[in-house]
Amino acid sequence: MSGKEVTPTRSVLLDLKKKIKLSQSGYKIMKMKRDGLIIEFFEVMEKARKMRAGVSSDYEAAMEKITIARVVEGEIAVKSAAYAIKSEPQVKLGSKSIMGMMVPKVEATAIHTSLVDKGYGVISTSAYIEEAAAAFEKLLDTLVRAAEIETTMKKLLDEIEKTKRRVNALEFKIIPELKESERFVKFRLEEMERENTTRLKHLKRKGEAAE
Amino acid sequence: MFGRKGNYAYAAARVKAKKAHLLGEEDYSKMLMMTPQEISRYISEAGYAKEMADLANRESGLNLLERATYANMANIFGSILLASTGDLRDMVSAYLTKWDNWNLKVILRGKSYGLDADGIREDLVPAGSLGAESLDKLISMESEEDILAAFSKMTHSAIPQEVVSAYKAKSNLAEIEDFLDRRYYEHLLDVIRPVDRPSFIFRDYVSKEIDVRNFETILKLKLDGVRGEQAMKYIIPGGKQIDAKAAAQLAATETVAEAVAEASQMGFYEDIKDAIDPQAASIRKVVSGMKRYEMMQSKKFSHLYPLSVIPVLDYMIHKENEVNNIRTVARGAESGLDREVIKGLLVI
Repeated sequence: MSGKEVTPTRSVLLDLKKKIKLSQSGYKIMKMKRDGLIIEFFEVMEKARKMRAGVSSDYEAAMEKITIARVVEGEIAVKSAAYAIKSEPQVKLGSKSIMGMMVPKVEATAIHTSLVDKGYGVISTSAYIEEAAAAFEKLLDTLVRAAEIETTMKKLLDEIEKTKRRVNALEFKIIPELKESERFVKFRLEEMERENTTRLKHLKRKGEAAE
Repeated sequence: MFGRKGNYAYAAARVKAKKAHLLGEEDYSKMLMMTPQEISRYISEAGYAKEMADLANRESGLNLLERATYANMANIFGSILLASTGDLRDMVSAYLTKWDNWNLKVILRGKSYGLDADGIREDLVPAGSLGAESLDKLISMESEEDILAAFSKMTHSAIPQEVVSAYKAKSNLAEIEDFLDRRYYEHLLDVIRPVDRPSFIFRDYVSKEIDVRNFETILKLKLDGVRGEQAMKYIIPGGKQIDAKAAAQLAATETVAEAVAEASQMGFYEDIKDAIDPQAASIRKVVSGMKRYEMMQSKKFSHLYPLSVIPVLDYMIHKENEVNNIRTVARGAESGLDREVIKGLLVI
C-alpha cells in the first residue's frame, strides 16, 4: 500500500494505526512460530538421522539373511515359502499437530506375524528362511516409522519456509508500507490543519477589515 | 539276516557304482575358487550334463544349475526306487515320501498364491514316488480340497478331515504342512521294522533325524516367543534322545542358550555347544552344527553291512547333500560371500 493511495482522513489514520499494531503483533507471533518450528525441525532431523542409520543397518541385515537363506536353502525353497505367506502388513494413517501444522502419523499394524501364523509349516521351514522373514519384517517396521519422520521433516521444512516468507513480508514490506502511509496521512492531516488555520485567520482578518 | 525280502545285493551294487561319482571334499575346495559359470561347467562334467542340457532352453544361470541338480537327484532317486523290490522298496519309497510332501507343499503354496501351472511345475522336484504325470494331475486341479483328496489317493494315505477343516478355518497351510511332516516320520518308522541290524541302524538314524528336527523346531519357536505346551504341538514323536519328556523340558526353557544347555546330555551337543552367542538373536550356527551332526551319523554306518538297505540310504543322504552343497557354493559365489563363509555353510 503506497502512501499516495490512501485518503488522508482521521478515520483512515485510526485504521492504519490499528493495522500497524495488528501487523506488529502478527510479526512477533510469526517470528516465534518460525523459531519454534526450527527447534522442532532440529529435533526431528536428529530422529531422522538415527532412523536413516537404522534403515540402512536393517536393510543390510535383511539382505545378508536372505542371501544366506538363498545360498543354503536355494531359490526354490525361499520362493515357495514366500508364496505361502498369507498375512499382509497393515498401515494406519492418522495425523497430529505440531504448532498448528498437521503432520502424518503412520502406524504399522500386523507387520510381525508369529511363526505359527505365517502360513508355512513350522517343522519343515528352515531357520534360515525364518530368520530372513523376521529380518524383512523388522526392516518394514523401520521403514514405516522412517516414512513418518521423513514426511514430518519435509512438512516442517515447507512450513518454516512459508513462515519465514511471511515474517520477511511483514518486517520488510507490510509494516514499513503501513508506517509510510501513516506518516503520509499524519503529514497531510497536519497540513490540512495548518491550511484551515490560515484560512480561518484570513477570513477573520477580512471580517475585521469589513467592520 | 538280510537280503531275504528285497534285492539288496543288486540295489547296493548299483548305488556303490553311483557313490563313486559323488563329489568329494577336494571338488568343493576347487569349486570354492571358481566363478558361478565355471562351477556350472565343472558340475556338467561331473555327471549333471544331461539335466543341464535338458533345462538349458528354459532356465539360465544359477536357476538352471539349481533345477538341473534337483532334476538329476530326482532321476537317480527314481531309478533307485524302480530298481528296488520287496521290503527295500518299501523303505526307500517311505524315505522318499518327503519329496512327495515337498511337491504337495509347492503345489498348495503356488495355488494359494495364484501361480499358473508352469510357475508351479518349475519348482517341483519329482524325487519321490509321484512322477511328473501324477504331479501334473494335482496341478491341474482347481481346489485345495481336490488336490488333497487326489494326493491321499495317490499315496494311499488319507489326510484327516480335522486337519483339512483346521486349514480351511484358518486359511493357514501350516496345518497341513506340519501334519505331512509328522506323518512322514511316523510312517517311515512304521515301515522300517527292526528285524535285523541294518534296519535297526536305519531306524536309529531316522530317530536321530527326528531329534534334530524337534530341536530345531523348539529353537525356532523359542526365538518367536513360543514355549511350553504350545511348542509341544509341533514335536514329532519317535525321537531317539528327545522323547516327550525331554521335549517338554526343552520347550519349557526360556531362551535358546538355556535350551542348548538343557541339551548337554544329547548326542548333538558337541556339535552345537560353541555355536551359541547369547547376544545374537540367531540360531543359524546351531542349525548348521546339527546338519553336520546328521551327516556324521550317516558316515558312521556308511561302511557297515554292504548288502543291506544301509548303502542305499547312505547314498541317498550323500546325493541330497551334494546337491545342497553345489547350490551353496554356486549361490555363495554369485552373492559375493566370503570363501570362508561359504565353506562354513557346506556340510562335508
